[in-house]
Amino acid sequence: MTRRWFWPSFALPGAVWLVLLFLVPTYAVVAVAFGTVDPIFQNPVPAWNPLDWQFHTMRSVLAEFEPGHTFWTVSVRTLVYVAISLAGCLLIGYPVAYYLARHARRTKGILLVLLIVPFWVSYLMRMLAWIGLLLPDGLVNRSLIHLGVISQPVGWLDGRPTSVILALIYGYVPYLILPLYAVLDRIDRSVLEAGRDLGASPIRTFFHVTLPLSRNGILAASVLITLPMFGDYYTNDVISGSPHTSMIGNQINLYFQGGTQKTVGACLVIVLSVFLALLMSYYLWATVRASAATKESLL
Amino acid sequence: MKRVRDWFANPWGQPRALGTITWLYMAWSIVPVLIAILFSFNDGRSRSVWQGFSTRWYWGDPNLSVFHDPAARSALEQSLRLAGLDMLIAVPLGVGLAIGLTRWRGYGAKPVNYLMLFPLVTPEIVMGVSLLLVFVLLYSIPLGTEAQVLGQVTFSISYVVIIVRGRLLSIGPEYEEAARDLGASQFAAFRLVLVPLLAPAVFASFIVVFALSIDDFVVTDYLSAGSPTQTVPIAIYSNARGGTTTPALNALATVMVVVTLLAVGLAYFVYRWAARSQPGTSGRALNEIAALEV
Amino acid sequence: MSTGAVDLVQLRKQFGEVTAVDGIDVSIEAGEFFSLLGPSGCGKTTTLRLIAGFERPDEGKILLDDVDMAATPPHRRKVNTVFQSYALFPHLDVFDNVAFGLRRARVKKAAVRTRVLNVLEAVRLGGYEKRKPGQLSGGQQQRVALARALVLEPKVLLLDEPLGALDAKLRKALQLELKGIQEGFGITFVYVTHDQEEALTMSDRIAVMSGGHVEQIASPEQMYEEPETVFVADFLGVSNLMKVSAEGAEGGACRTRLGDFALRAGCGEISRQGETHVVIRPERVVIEPYESSGENRVPGMIERVVYHGASDQLVVRLATGDLVQALFVRDGTSRDWVQGTAVQVHLPAEALRVLPPGPAGGDVPTPQDVALDTPAVEVPAS
Repeated sequence: MTRRWFWPSFALPGAVWLVLLFLVPTYAVVAVAFGTVDPIFQNPVPAWNPLDWQFHTMRSVLAEFEPGHTFWTVSVRTLVYVAISLAGCLLIGYPVAYYLARHARRTKGILLVLLIVPFWVSYLMRMLAWIGLLLPDGLVNRSLIHLGVISQPVGWLDGRPTSVILALIYGYVPYLILPLYAVLDRIDRSVLEAGRDLGASPIRTFFHVTLPLSRNGILAASVLITLPMFGDYYTNDVISGSPHTSMIGNQINLYFQGGTQKTVGACLVIVLSVFLALLMSYYLWATVRASAATKESLL
Repeated sequence: MKRVRDWFANPWGQPRALGTITWLYMAWSIVPVLIAILFSFNDGRSRSVWQGFSTRWYWGDPNLSVFHDPAARSALEQSLRLAGLDMLIAVPLGVGLAIGLTRWRGYGAKPVNYLMLFPLVTPEIVMGVSLLLVFVLLYSIPLGTEAQVLGQVTFSISYVVIIVRGRLLSIGPEYEEAARDLGASQFAAFRLVLVPLLAPAVFASFIVVFALSIDDFVVTDYLSAGSPTQTVPIAIYSNARGGTTTPALNALATVMVVVTLLAVGLAYFVYRWAARSQPGTSGRALNEIAALEV
Repeated sequence: MSTGAVDLVQLRKQFGEVTAVDGIDVSIEAGEFFSLLGPSGCGKTTTLRLIAGFERPDEGKILLDDVDMAATPPHRRKVNTVFQSYALFPHLDVFDNVAFGLRRARVKKAAVRTRVLNVLEAVRLGGYEKRKPGQLSGGQQQRVALARALVLEPKVLLLDEPLGALDAKLRKALQLELKGIQEGFGITFVYVTHDQEEALTMSDRIAVMSGGHVEQIASPEQMYEEPETVFVADFLGVSNLMKVSAEGAEGGACRTRLGDFALRAGCGEISRQGETHVVIRPERVVIEPYESSGENRVPGMIERVVYHGASDQLVVRLATGDLVQALFVRDGTSRDWVQGTAVQVHLPAEALRVLPPGPAGGDVPTPQDVALDTPAVEVPAS
C-alpha cells in the first residue's frame, strides 16, 4: 500500500549530489587524460566525447613505466614502502587487536578509548608530533645520544626512507587495528575453547583456528589501509622533503600543484585507479576463496 | 631474570607478552602527540627543546600566538566554517540517502548503493584531482570556500549513510507498521516514530562529519584558493618543516584536537543518554562509536 | 454487533518464486475467535498481513463486512494488529503508546484520557501509564500492545503469535485473559499461532494451514475428533496414523486391511477404496489381555510405558509392525503395564477414521509423543 515513489524520493538529493560531484568528476579525469593541451596557455582541454579521445599522452605516460624510467622507479618505491608499512602495521597491529579482543577484560574499556583517540587527532597533527621528535635537536636524537647508541645527531627528516616508512606505519596502524579487533571480537569464544579442550596448546590453537578464522579480517583491514596509502603524498612531504623518497602520490601532486601538465597528471591518476581496482578485485576474489577454504578446513 | 621470565610465562593468567605489547603500543601511539601538546606550552621558540612553561603561543605573544596571528585565526575560522557547512549539508543528504536506500525496493537501489560506496574506497588524491578538474573545466566554480565545502560534503555523505543505515536496519520496519496500523499515514509514521528512533544516529553522524571535516587535508587543499581559505591541517602541512616555525603551530593543532575531542566526548554522552530507552543500544555505545570510524 | 465479518476470497500472494498464500477461501464470522494454525512457512502470517494491509494480494479479495478492502491502506482499515514482538514505541510511555491511535484519529484530549485509562484497567495495567516499555515485563508489554489496539475499538483484531515470547505458565494465564477480553468486547479475533494446544483452547473455529493452503476449517472439537486430512490429523495431537488398503463400504463401515488383519472403520470416508490412512486418537485405543478376541483386534507387544503424571502413555508395537500409542487416565483403578507384555490392541470401529491418502501417496509420518505441556518449538516464518 505504499506509494512507490515515497522512499526513493528520500534518496534523490543525495544521489543527485553524488552523481554531479563524484561520478561526473571521475569522468572528467578520463576526459582530461584522453584530451589535448591548449598550445598557448598549456591548459588541458578535456575531450568529453569518447570519439574525440586521444591516447598519445597516455602512451607516453605508460612508456615512462618501463624499467629504468621515472614512473617505474617511483612505482616500485611506492610498492616497497606500502608493502613494508603494511607488514609493519600487521606485526604491530594484530597482537594489539588480538589482546584487545580476546583477553583484556577489565581494561578493555580504557584500551578501546585509547585506541580510538588517534582517530580524532588529525593525521597531520600526529605527523607534526613526530617531526618535533625527529628534529636534529629533538627527543629521539637526544635520547639515542644519551643512551650511547649514536654519537652525532641523525638527520631523520633529511629524506630517509626509514623515516617515511615509520611515519606511514605510525599513521595508518590505528586504521588497521580497529577493523581487525572487530573481526577477532566476533570469533566465538567456544570455538577457541574447543580447540584447547581437544588438546591443542595455545600456540597451535592460534595458528590452526584463530588465524584462519581471522584471515578475512586481515585481508579487509589490509585493503582498508593500503588503498589510501597508495595515494599518500603528504606523509612524504612533511617527513622527508626529498624527491628521493617520493611516492606515486607525490608524482601526481607534482603535475597538479605545479600547474602545467594536468593531462599527464590525469593519466597517472587513471593508472593508479586501475591498479587499485585490480587490487580490490583480487581482494574480493581472495575473500571468497578464503571463506570457502576456512569452511573446508574446519569441517 | 628468572622472575621476569616466570612472570611472562604464566599459563593461566592473561598472556603477559601480549598485554605488554599492547600497552607499549598505546604509549607509542599517544605519547608523541602528548609531547607535541606539551611543547605548545613551551616558553621558547623551539619545538624540540623544553625551555619552560608558558602560554605565549596561545595568547601571550602579540604577533605569533594563535590568538593574535591573523593567519592562525583565519585557519581556525576556516576549519570551523567548513566543518559547520559540511555538517549542515552532508547529514541531511546522507540521512535521506540512508532511509531511501534501506526502504527502496526498485531497480535503482543497487546502483545508487554502489555509487554511495565508491567514495569510501577512493584515495583522497583521486577525489581531489577529479574535483579540481571538474570545477575548473566544467562547472566553472571558483576555488575557495564553496568549492571546499562541495568537496568535503561529497566524501562525508557516505559515512553518514553507513552510520544511519546500520541503525535503520536494527530498528526494522515493525514500529512504523504498528504506527500505520494504528492510523498514522506513511509520512506521520515516519515523523512520529522513525525520526525519534533515528535521532541518536543522526546526532552521531553530525559529530563524525565534523571530525572528518576538521581533519581533512587533501580535498580541502586541492580546492583551496590560497591563504584566506587555508585550514588548520593545511597550515600544519605548509609549516611543519619550516625553519622559523614556532610552537604556535603546536598550539594551533592542540586547539583543534581539544575541540574535536570535546565534540566526540559530548557526542558519546548525548548518544548514550538519547539511546537509553531504545532497544539494542545501551552498553555497546563505546563499541558503536568505535565502529563508526570504519 | 454484526460487524467484523471477514471474508477472504481466492486470496493469493507470491513472493518471487514462493507462493505464500495459494488461493484460499475463508469466512470469519463477526465476533468469533478464529485461529489460523499451522507450522512455520504455511502462510498464516502472510494471510494476517494481507488482512491488515501490509501486503497487497496478487489475486483475490479481502472483504470486511462485505466491503472490499483491497484499495484501503492499512491506516484506514478498521482493523488493528497486535504484533509478535509487540512493537511498542520505545520512546513513548505506556499512556502515549496506547493513546497513539486515538490521537491520529483526532479524538479530543479529555476523551483520549478517559478511554486510555479505561482500557488500561481492562487489561489490568491501571497505574502503569508513566512507565516506559523498557521497564515492563514481557507479559505487561503484551497487555499494553493489546490495549493499544483495543482502545481504537476495531471491528477485527489481528494477533500474530502474541504469546510466543512468554514462558509456559504466563502463556496459559494470558490465554484465558485474551479469551475473556474477546468475549467481553465482542470483537472478531483473528489469531495466528503454531501451537495447536493454544488454538484448541481458545478458538471458536480453527483454520489449519499448510503450504499456503487451508487444510480444514472447523471447531476445535470437530477438528480434533473428525480430521479430514492426514496433515490435520497429524498436526493436532497424536494421530496413530496407519497405512491400510481400503475396500469400500460394507454395512455402514469401511472394510480395510492392515497388513494381515481386517479392520472395520466406522468414521470418515467409509466408501474409500485403495491405499489410504486410518487414524484413531490414543485415548480411544483399548488395550486388552492377549487372550481377548473379537473384531478390530490386533495382537501386539508393549514397547514402552511412559508416566505422565495424570496419565499413562503406552507405546505398543503391533504384529503388523505399526506403532500405536494409547493413553490411559490414572483414575485409581490399578493397571500394571509392563514393558514386553503381549496384549491385544482393540481399535473400536466407531473411533477408527478413514482419511483420504496423504500428500506423499500414503507415507506414514513418524508418531509424535503426546505433548502435554510443550508445543513444538518453532521459529515462525513470515
